[in-house]
Amino acid sequence: MLKFVSRRLAYTFAVLVLVSIVVFIIFNYLPIDPARLTCGKSCFPALIEANRHRLGLDVPWWEQWWRFIHGLFAGRSYAEGSAAIVCGAPSFGYSFNQHSCVTSLIGQAFPVTFSLAIGSFILWMIMGISLGVLAARFKGRMPDRIATVFVLVGTSLPTFISGLLILLFVVLKFNLINPIEMGQWMSPFSNPWGYFKEFIFPCITLALAYAATYTRFTRSNVIETSSEDFIRTAKAKGLSSGVILRKHTLRAALSPILTIAGLDFAGLLGGAIITEQIFNLPGLGRLSIKAVLTDYDLPVILSTTLLAAAFVVIANLVVDIAYAFIDPRVRVA
Amino acid sequence: MSEKNMANVRRRLIATAAAAALVAGGLLVGGASGASAKPTTGGTLYMITHAGQFAHADPQRNYTGQDIAFFNTYLYRNLVVYKPAAGPSGSGLVADLATNTGVPSNSAKTWKFTLRPGVKWEDGTAITCADVKYGVSRTFATDVITDGPAYALSMLAIPQDAKGNSLYAGPYKKTGQKLFDKAVTCSKDNRTITFNLSHSVADFNYATSYPAFGPVKASKDTGDKYDLHPLSSGPYKIAKYTINGEMDLVRNANWSKASDSVRTPYPDNVTVRFGLDSNVIDQIMLSDSIPNTVNLDGLQPVNNRAFFADDKYSARRMNVYDPYVRYYGLNSSAGHLDCLAVRKAVFYAWPIQSLIDLAGGTVFYGDVGDSPIKPVLGLDYAKTTGNVHDSNFKTAGNPAYAKSLLAQAKTDCPATYAKVTGDAGISIDLPNTSTQQKASVLLKAGLDAAGFNTKFNFIPSGQYYPTVQDITKQGDVTRAGWGADWANASTVIPPLFLKDGGFDLSGNWGDAVYPAFKAKVDAASAETNRPKQAAAWKSLAQFAMDQFWITPPIFGKAQLDWGSKVGGVAFWDPQGTFLFPALYVK
Repeated sequence: MLKFVSRRLAYTFAVLVLVSIVVFIIFNYLPIDPARLTCGKSCFPALIEANRHRLGLDVPWWEQWWRFIHGLFAGRSYAEGSAAIVCGAPSFGYSFNQHSCVTSLIGQAFPVTFSLAIGSFILWMIMGISLGVLAARFKGRMPDRIATVFVLVGTSLPTFISGLLILLFVVLKFNLINPIEMGQWMSPFSNPWGYFKEFIFPCITLALAYAATYTRFTRSNVIETSSEDFIRTAKAKGLSSGVILRKHTLRAALSPILTIAGLDFAGLLGGAIITEQIFNLPGLGRLSIKAVLTDYDLPVILSTTLLAAAFVVIANLVVDIAYAFIDPRVRVA
Repeated sequence: MSEKNMANVRRRLIATAAAAALVAGGLLVGGASGASAKPTTGGTLYMITHAGQFAHADPQRNYTGQDIAFFNTYLYRNLVVYKPAAGPSGSGLVADLATNTGVPSNSAKTWKFTLRPGVKWEDGTAITCADVKYGVSRTFATDVITDGPAYALSMLAIPQDAKGNSLYAGPYKKTGQKLFDKAVTCSKDNRTITFNLSHSVADFNYATSYPAFGPVKASKDTGDKYDLHPLSSGPYKIAKYTINGEMDLVRNANWSKASDSVRTPYPDNVTVRFGLDSNVIDQIMLSDSIPNTVNLDGLQPVNNRAFFADDKYSARRMNVYDPYVRYYGLNSSAGHLDCLAVRKAVFYAWPIQSLIDLAGGTVFYGDVGDSPIKPVLGLDYAKTTGNVHDSNFKTAGNPAYAKSLLAQAKTDCPATYAKVTGDAGISIDLPNTSTQQKASVLLKAGLDAAGFNTKFNFIPSGQYYPTVQDITKQGDVTRAGWGADWANASTVIPPLFLKDGGFDLSGNWGDAVYPAFKAKVDAASAETNRPKQAAAWKSLAQFAMDQFWITPPIFGKAQLDWGSKVGGVAFWDPQGTFLFPALYVK
């Protein structure tokens, strides 16, 4: 088992290194010159070169990459003289557009994204599994038809539509949130009501799409499991349908769903760009999109990409390890 | 200045003697909230924007009209500022930190400003000449202050190396510090600052209205991070500033009205909310759900039309001429449009009315102009002759006349003719936006009808200006916009038409007429007699139009909107935005 975990950890590390290299290469071969972009109107050649040096783009990409990796463990410093800036380890670099060390930008954005992800996760699991079970339990009847409609609507409405609809025709129309306050981080500990108001609608937006998919998964899994031999045996033993559902059907039907849910949750931790954008949430998604579309801010792009990759890779690792515990054949494979 | 992201970037323009011209010319096309009611003190004034942050809060990096207007009103004090008044008087300079608007000597190569007593930083310490000197020195630290106005670099008497780089490297490295100390000096009582310039600059005091010439306290300078929290010298100070979040301003206890004859801060708090979705902003403004709000962006086009069409919003809107001239540079460098007849053909084939209609029409977007200098510059503007006043000019484009010009070009300059009509074609640089994609269809129809083979370079909008400002990447025709930095065409003609002006998209320096043109520009720049200088600018604008270095220009308009509880709303001509000092919460 130790060998298996070690091997998987090594793979995980290799994937992250590969992702970081690919991002550096892509960024270096894009037809964009960040040094020009950051020098404003008075953009004379010497200033462009000074900017290139300041951004650390005056060396080959592999050296830039190595500085980045080195900074993760040893920290980094920028600029010279009394204007020097130091970003302590683990340093993801410095954003000259946001005038902050990227580590602290991520530190500010992550709680927002985590709140959105965990809130949505809870909502979609409750909604998706409940509706899925109901639809399976009452297959072909009214609850099933309602669930089918929900699945159709949920899967066909993109988040940017449902989010805007919720925002404009529910939140703003009925003054449920003061738009001026929208998107400000409120601690759940110091202002639980404000925190709830802030996140409930973005969570609903995000959860709608996922819940629809999970309703479908749950329904089909429950129906499939219900025809298994061990369920027939349970029925033959005279167990009530409620007990069979709770103790036998659901336990078997939900295992694969939980696996997928874990990966989806990990994916969301990288940032729900559209939802964060619509509801003005200052999370990792917004941080990334600003860095990509507005600032061409390599340290932020790289860090958020690596972080998103890390969440997914680590979730995969956890799932693999969990499977290895459950099924020894995985270890051998 | 260039039209970089028009929605958010508003640069400076003065309308010295322009009020009469504005009104007489019917330029003010919309109503404005009268400032007749007595302003009230207190409350929170909100400002909302889709932008994630101010372009810069660091005074030395601040270079957009709206941002300068905002920070000069609430946070910074400068040597001089624009008078906080609507109309033409708002274009005049008034002393702020200084006791007067500057005293020139030595043919305007030396300028002195004496600081008034009793002015303080937010930490309670006095603002001194040394602080102003230190602030100005930061502009030279191009490794930290990577953008912002570079007037200090080009005007102060500090030697440069062969590449044109200043030998002074700023206060962080201190290389060449003695050179700077010689160019900028403080009196013994630390109250009078003297600027020694490398050449005569008759309007240098206008340059000092930029925060780049304002004070920074050396001990509070945090380099790049100063952009997040500049030390206040104005009536408010920053309580909180988060990018993609908000900026909260609260009253600065160490500011006193007795030391400030310019500002009357009405609201108790000013909060700028960043990063709001444009749909949300429109919804807030249409429903007036937060009535003490000012919209810094303007509405989206569809909502803008509805807002201005409905009388119920009449007290909450304004349609005005903005500071910009929109145009397309005609690249006359070798291998491009290096033939007058071809440039002329482009000019007369140009379907300008279709482009105006596409962008919102004459009511909202602007009018056909006749000069790179806008009429609001007053003294420096004169109606040109020829170009759009020629009987062959048609706002829909005149392909028949353009064809005849191309036929002439076939004889005059066969290579250029062959290029623009052949496979290589005439290439037009456009930002890659949906509006410009539509504009390209109109342009192609207009120019192809005259015999051009029209092609397009769609450039990602964020990279547009950095790309086209590189002559090796620029196409034949380049979309652009420009607004004067202050009430002098010295901030229009040289930047737009001199090779080292910073924004010359006409590529004209290979043109046979360029040396003569440059000599005239240099003479005009050095002219200290203002009426003579104005006459020179008028003549040079005519010169540029006669050379067809630009397409028919458009004198642009802008629309502003605000909530019902915001009082004192007016347009601040020199800044091209709200007259922030007059705003109050009803």
